[in-house]
Amino acid sequence: MFGRIISFSASNLKALLPASISRCTRQLHITAPVAVKQIIETRKDKQLIIEGVYMNSPREETLLRHNEDSDACAVCRLNVEIKHTDVLILSQFIRKDGCMLPRRITGLCRLQQRRIGNMVAMANKAGLMTSLLPRARERDPYKRRKEHLKFKVYYDESTIKPPKDPFAPRKLVPKDNWF
Amino acid sequence: MTALGRVKQWNTFARTWHLFDAKWQNPIESGPTVAKYLQGLHKPIFHPMSECGDHVVVINTKDIALPGDEWRLRVYFHHTGYPGGASWTKAWELHDKDPTMVMKKAVYIAMDGTLQRRYNMLRLHLFADERVPDEIMQNVTNQIKPLRYVPPSLYDYSEEEIEKFPKIVDYPHDYVIR
Ligand SMILES: [Zn+2]
Repeated sequence: MFGRIISFSASNLKALLPASISRCTRQLHITAPVAVKQIIETRKDKQLIIEGVYMNSPREETLLRHNEDSDACAVCRLNVEIKHTDVLILSQFIRKDGCMLPRRITGLCRLQQRRIGNMVAMANKAGLMTSLLPRARERDPYKRRKEHLKFKVYYDESTIKPPKDPFAPRKLVPKDNWF
Repeated sequence: MTALGRVKQWNTFARTWHLFDAKWQNPIESGPTVAKYLQGLHKPIFHPMSECGDHVVVINTKDIALPGDEWRLRVYFHHTGYPGGASWTKAWELHDKDPTMVMKKAVYIAMDGTLQRRYNMLRLHLFADERVPDEIMQNVTNQIKPLRYVPPSLYDYSEEEIEKFPKIVDYPHDYVIR
């Protein structure tokens, strides 16, 4: 399970430490630069060839540098207050069709994943970012909407509830004592 | 009175015309700001007995923004005076019928209910979009600063700008981009 997310080499002892392995939400790319896959389908007469080709990540050049020793996730270590109107940041966490990427891919902590996911939904509702598809640029998001949805809205980020802590001690509910 | 003093007097009591762009502005927040200029409260010579309010031209009132669910939750009450004549109109319904009405009511509510209020309201000029008649636009000499940041849509940026913006996360190894 960990092999897929964390790629480590024997020369780097840090990756072998149990503490960093248990922290499975972070991606440690120590051996090779990130290679993403591209699925190519080619059709020859009655043959259909599907192959996965490795290519360099498109974000290789524009990726922000950060301290490798930091334990924090990508958003926490930025230490910037992100709002739902920051569409250039939020669009990095969605697929082309506008779906939010799951946590195993974004590598964020629970709190930030919840916050970013909610803010993507807010930006969608405010009509600032519906999807990354090129045909989405041409249409006005407000034109297709009805009733109260066709007018402009904005949101307050402080209304986002933090996720429940799964490791929090369970509250002991006292039994009803009738006697 | 000297000639200079007379010109000073004219300049002091002349009505100034202000422009307010309501795009992405909350009408309930910006109502008091507009009302301040209508009543003349921003002037050091203000006195309730001297009528020194200014004109305000509000444009793009159809593009006002309300927070969260307020388009559905905000309700405007009206009573015809006859039995059973009460009506409650939701904000989005009112905005659908007249895109200047929500802004107008917000400014009206922001002012005290004195005899002067109706006269102050006459100096408020509301326009649903950017098309303002020239005889009004040529008077405007000042713009009121918008209270709220106007958020650009993702589609306002070119694809190159989006690509060159610093990325904070990278895709994991073996990820298939789609
Ligand atoms: Zn975090």
